Amino acid sequence: MSREYEAVYIFDAALEDAAIAEKLEKHHALLGTTDPIALDHWGRRQLAYKIGSKETGYYVVARFTAEGKVLPEFERALKLDDGVVRYLISVHEHELGAPPMTEEQLAARKARDGDDDDDED
Amino acid sequence: MRRPKKTCPVTEAGIRFIDYKDERFLSRFVTDNGKILPSRLSGVDARHQRQLSKAIKKARYLALLPYVRSQSAQ
Repeated sequence: MSREYEAVYIFDAALEDAAIAEKLEKHHALLGTTDPIALDHWGRRQLAYKIGSKETGYYVVARFTAEGKVLPEFERALKLDDGVVRYLISVHEHELGAPPMTEEQLAARKARDGDDDDDED
Repeated sequence: MRRPKKTCPVTEAGIRFIDYKDERFLSRFVTDNGKILPSRLSGVDARHQRQLSKAIKKARYLALLPYVRSQSAQ
């Protein structure tokens, strides 16, 4: 079953932008998806704490749809890549949980909550 | 004596899902030292507090938020 995932990579800030783009392409090829991968380059930014000796990192957020079974290999490649300081892959959150409530439901709930308050008082 | 009911700041902000990448928003719910603020102080409701604590922990792993902010460094 394929799912929508979101991955955040922290690349070594010392890498050239071209090298980062190349690495991304190489790793994403392992996913075996034909759909375009949405990339969001945050660029270089200060880390909240030092990771090893590094104080800055190049952040990239990627959203893609993939089969769960290709992920272990994908993660292994990321782990072995010295240019990747850290990564986090998670199921894209908006997919989880109940569908968002409609305006009517929200209004109904609000009215009910209001009644509850009256009862308590 | 009943204290007035606090309204949940997450609900009030109209946020449907707490994003672990939004460290600006998350930083409102941590102390100066970087600890997660208890809901009894922030007034966050239980459902959002659970989502917040998970989001903050993810943000910490990604070095968006500090695990600890030492007082000497400030």
